[in-house]
Amino acid sequence: MPKKTQTETVTLTIDGKTVTVPKGTVAVDAAKTVGIDIPVFCYHEKLGPFGCCRMCLVEVEKMPKLATACTLAVGQDMVINTESQKATKGRQGVLEFTLLNHPLDCPVCDKGGECPLQDNTFAHGPDLTRTEFTRYNRDKAVPLSPVVTIDRERCIACQRCTRYSDIVEQETALVMVNRGFQNRVQTFQDRPYETRFSGNVVDICPVGALTNTTYRFKSRIWDLDNAETLCAHCGVNCNIVVGARMNEFMRVQAKSGENSQANDAVDDGWICDKGRFGYGFVESANRILNCRNDKGEALEANDALGQAATQLKKISDEHGPKSVGFIGSPYGTNEELYLYQKLFRQQLKTNNIDFKTYKQAPGLPVDHYDVGDIETSDLVLLIASDPTEEAPVLDLRIKKSVSFFDVKLAVLNDQKTDMDKPAALSLRYNVGSEAETLSALIDALNDKKVRGLEKSAGIAPKLIKELAATIQGSEKVCVIYNPAALNGVASDTILELLQTIGGLPDKQCGAIPVAPGTNAVGALDMGAHPNFYPGGLALSEAEKIKSLWGDESPLQPGFSALEMIEKAAAGELKALVVFRANPVVDFPGGSAVMEALKNLDYLVVHDMLETETTQLANLVLASNGPGYDDGTTTNIGGRVQFRKRSLVREDHPPDWMIISRMIRSLDPEAPSYKNSFDATDEISKNVPGYEAINKKSVKGMGLPRKGFACSEVQGNGAPAAEKPENGALRLRVTNYLFAHDKILDASSPLAHQFKSSTVYLNAEDAKALGIETGGEVKVVSGDVAIDAVAEVSDRCNPGAALMPRVSDEQGLMALVKDPDAATWVQVKK
Amino acid sequence: MTQLLFKHINVEGMASIDVYEKHGGYETLKKALKQKPEEILETVKASGLRGRGGAGFPTGLKWSFLAKNVYPRYLVCNADESEPGTCKDRELLLKNPHLLIEGMIICAYACEIETGYNYMRGEFYDLCEIFDKAVEEAYDRGYLGKNILKSKFNLDLHSHLGAGAYICGEESALLNSLEGMRGEPRLKPPFPAVEGLYGKPTVVNNVETLCAVVPVVEGGAKAYAALGTEKSKGTKLVSVSGHVRNPGNFEVVLGTPTSEIIEMAGGMREGRKLKAFIPGGSSVPMLPADKVDTPYDYESLQAAGSMLGSGALIVMDDSANVVKETLRIASFYMHESCGKCTPCREGTRWLHQILGEIESGRGKDENIGLLQDICDNMSFKCFCPLGDAAIAPVLSGIANFREDYEELLSQAKAGVAAE
Amino acid sequence: MFAFSETSEKEIEKQLVKYPPDRKKSAILALLRIAQQQNGYVSPEAMEEIGRRLDLSPAYVEGVCSFYTMYYTRPVGQYVILFCINVSCHLLNCDNLLEYTAKKLNIEVGGTTEDKKFTLLREECLAECSRAPVMRINNDYHVNLTPQKIDQILDSLK
Repeated sequence: MPKKTQTETVTLTIDGKTVTVPKGTVAVDAAKTVGIDIPVFCYHEKLGPFGCCRMCLVEVEKMPKLATACTLAVGQDMVINTESQKATKGRQGVLEFTLLNHPLDCPVCDKGGECPLQDNTFAHGPDLTRTEFTRYNRDKAVPLSPVVTIDRERCIACQRCTRYSDIVEQETALVMVNRGFQNRVQTFQDRPYETRFSGNVVDICPVGALTNTTYRFKSRIWDLDNAETLCAHCGVNCNIVVGARMNEFMRVQAKSGENSQANDAVDDGWICDKGRFGYGFVESANRILNCRNDKGEALEANDALGQAATQLKKISDEHGPKSVGFIGSPYGTNEELYLYQKLFRQQLKTNNIDFKTYKQAPGLPVDHYDVGDIETSDLVLLIASDPTEEAPVLDLRIKKSVSFFDVKLAVLNDQKTDMDKPAALSLRYNVGSEAETLSALIDALNDKKVRGLEKSAGIAPKLIKELAATIQGSEKVCVIYNPAALNGVASDTILELLQTIGGLPDKQCGAIPVAPGTNAVGALDMGAHPNFYPGGLALSEAEKIKSLWGDESPLQPGFSALEMIEKAAAGELKALVVFRANPVVDFPGGSAVMEALKNLDYLVVHDMLETETTQLANLVLASNGPGYDDGTTTNIGGRVQFRKRSLVREDHPPDWMIISRMIRSLDPEAPSYKNSFDATDEISKNVPGYEAINKKSVKGMGLPRKGFACSEVQGNGAPAAEKPENGALRLRVTNYLFAHDKILDASSPLAHQFKSSTVYLNAEDAKALGIETGGEVKVVSGDVAIDAVAEVSDRCNPGAALMPRVSDEQGLMALVKDPDAATWVQVKK
Repeated sequence: MTQLLFKHINVEGMASIDVYEKHGGYETLKKALKQKPEEILETVKASGLRGRGGAGFPTGLKWSFLAKNVYPRYLVCNADESEPGTCKDRELLLKNPHLLIEGMIICAYACEIETGYNYMRGEFYDLCEIFDKAVEEAYDRGYLGKNILKSKFNLDLHSHLGAGAYICGEESALLNSLEGMRGEPRLKPPFPAVEGLYGKPTVVNNVETLCAVVPVVEGGAKAYAALGTEKSKGTKLVSVSGHVRNPGNFEVVLGTPTSEIIEMAGGMREGRKLKAFIPGGSSVPMLPADKVDTPYDYESLQAAGSMLGSGALIVMDDSANVVKETLRIASFYMHESCGKCTPCREGTRWLHQILGEIESGRGKDENIGLLQDICDNMSFKCFCPLGDAAIAPVLSGIANFREDYEELLSQAKAGVAAE
Repeated sequence: MFAFSETSEKEIEKQLVKYPPDRKKSAILALLRIAQQQNGYVSPEAMEEIGRRLDLSPAYVEGVCSFYTMYYTRPVGQYVILFCINVSCHLLNCDNLLEYTAKKLNIEVGGTTEDKKFTLLREECLAECSRAPVMRINNDYHVNLTPQKIDQILDSLK
């Protein structure tokens, strides 16, 4: 594992070229800087030196033996010769050994064309093999999991995959078993290799031993059109390469040293399995291909968007701007969300704009840290966040930082997560007591007395003090938190905490809010908020707003998404545009949400997949969605990157065009855009913080937008602890990465990862209720009952019922009435 | 005959602490504790004692490479005696475990170490019981534990059993195994003296080496260095096996002619002549009979084209066929290659395949050249010395006993012709 | 299901104290050995249990277990005969003796007798070369083997 950057350099000679590199660089990497490609198999820059394949043998002056360039830390004045006769013969010999038992099935191997073994053999190998023996027969094409196939004959035992499992995933799920020529890559008892990140082994395998099962025999790599783009699932926005053939989706790879250059500021070259195998939606049978009216008749896009704009305007004119609203999505691009808020604010004169059901205002009272800042922090404070399920690649980065860069991890959560293992300190508060816990921590940081929390929050004040001392003792603190998991006033308390930490002497503090969705940060930045214009401009900043957006800009606070549902139910909201969201299933309220939407005069749903909500629409606008539409997104670290399309649709306009045409249909003077970057340019002009964001800067590694301060932080203090009803448990809805929803539908290759409805109970409560692990139960709130299987564990403190959202069908959100208040449930056998 | 390690080897009950003490046991430790650690280190350095496990690296120098001011440090005794032909450590552990314990304590004292492990190969379960009992006795008498013999020096010793892997005799593989991993060798550098067990400075020494520390400190550097040759000091245990009348372990002064050692073992069997001998275990080149007078020391054996290795003298008379024995040894290396690096994993198997063809009368003339070139492609290109060990018998066999190969090859040709 | 017996637990305790508390992985070889002593072989369930004890993935335990030749992952006979076949023994006709033993037990090398009493395995050097030919039965060494001696030893175990 490469250590943090060295400043000292050494100068040496490789094949007569002078090279200056940081001390500690290995010869392979040093050579690369001057364009000398020393062949490797086992070496991978993210896994560190290993030296087992011996492919990189080079001659070093004054060394009697050939050296492996991947393990050789270069020294001052070293003279390395990669092309000497001795080195060349050495490498030829190694290749002959490597190929000795490797089948010559390149013509039918998926790796063919992008295979280091093939390439190295071509460049450095002998022409012929001298063995006359039958190659070692081993199992071919065995499923390692439903999505990864292993061909044991092709394996050259480089141990990249097993080291990845050990060093990066840190699960040692994949290991070498046996020894000598019988050694092989294996899971425990050949059980499926099912982790969150299993697919990365396909990318790093230097031969065709590990292949992507969903891509097997689908295409030759030279027939692929590869697009370097972004993953459109969670907020990390990992860099991926999507391969398409004749405009058909073929596969996803991580953007890494194997095919391009890893974006260390984002994903470090790794992606999760949802990002790799969860792309069936781009060609799902459930896709909305055409716009349609409430009779189900297909409409031309231009007609449909014209109808929508006219109708919205008409209702706004008739019933006032408060009668129309927009519920967007953290899955939209910056351009899409920017244009939608522009449509609603400029043309419909309303601030009824939102994209979420939790409380969060744009901006932070401290720096907005980039993902890469995790590695250089002294302390990572993880609050109410479960990265493994919510932003998986963050899980890898945190583990890496803890293991290799001496970063300390402290966890504050109401549930046990995978992050407890690498944590130096892990505090578990009672479900619902986050505000109290956070304000106790604030008190401790301010050296005030810490109230007794044992009963209400389940945490000893001693631990709060220990955590405070840890924070005080760390110079650079990175706070990672999930705003959507912070109940009620805690959404303010977290900001107060950040401000407090940031205000400690000699402290660098930054935060990474990890909300659900691809572009939650961007959505807030773009002003998809009832109280904020783009760039975090609060409505109170009337002058600034008017100068940017004109004198007629609405300055009345709008309704939040949940308020819009309420107002729809009350008949006060007449028209609603829902963009790439499915409130019927995803919003709290259950059937009440459906009833509210039915009560609207006019519901426009702009989406790419059929949902329960599209079924209610008066007008459906087809969205191409990721895969087909270009746009930028802003990741959890505030980094703006370009999500390039990888597939083309010529018969239907992209979303940014649909929205901009709606604007133009109401204001013919409004600009028209030739491509998404024209909208990006407008963002850079109109959105504070996005000044440097443009066509050029969003490519490659992307560029962090300038973070901005949030409006004044309100200290709310801790709320009074609510008393549970008799026998009731407080519900906590948690996340599960492979939820069976519209994105991962039944045909998904990840269907094996789907999970049945589960409720986690603390042993204490389970005992009182007479419930055991595996028991079928009903989780009941009011007239809603959700089926689940009980799991008794220490995942949460007593008094709570933890339920991951595992599928749309589960209908879990129906249990929740008000996400800001406690939801009490009865768990019944 | 100078007997340092084997002086009391056949004394009845020597494995018990009472008998050991009665024969002067632990007196050297008492003497050592009166000196400063660095004085002991100087003594060991000046004695010229070299590692008896195989590499022959100067012991004192190895100790002096320990990373300065890094603690804790560890001592690991390499009792993974697995080199074919070698059985000296087994005899020491079986009959005189306290000698090793005393040597380990002195080493630990000299190197400021407070924890030591004796890594014994898994097959030595019986020896492990003996060692554990001896350690217990040593604790009881105050030779181990806190404030040893009322000094400020503390030491805990533990036994650790392997589980069947030749490669664990390689010190870095041994450390991995001791840490609970697969016994695959580690990258060097860092060397164990800098980052060894649990990433801490570690001394790894062979059983015989640590035992030899006792007479070195007992008699002083000068007396020890007076024995042997200019660069090969002291005595060496030699395990004589194979075609001799009375095989056994013998303690000889380094520099003794190899032929004399064979004589100690009763000489050749009735009516048989010496054909070949492997002076230092299966990992070193085999030599023809005309080299039998080579003085048994590190330098002379190297000059003769082989190595002293672990001190395992395997003797073959004229009834032996070098190809058959080489095939047997090749099979061993194939079986014991850990599989981590490509040339060793693939090369040992390929060598075995070709030797098998030759041995079974299906060889071809060009096989010899191919064998040699495969060896060249393995030579110094493998991750650890196992690959180089594996090629030694092949190359030396071809070089010194080509007639055995040619005989089988001509039989093969005749066979083909007959068909 | 696999559970360590009381005797095994005591032995485990003795082994664990040898290593620093944060290095208990070092005890993996010992725990595998104890599991095998208890049940005759190391079952997948035993590997899982060892993983739980030492905070290691079961795959890791299997990876380690499979590296070493002395762990049996399938049931073996009551007596496991490790017959040295390395060079010193080879020079003294161990091949014939091995064949003799196999015939006597009426099994192939590598096999187990029907009564589950003996398993016969080839073994690389046992480090008793000057007393070759050599075999090891369970924890005991038997040296200077001859057919008669083999008869004697095996018969005494019947």
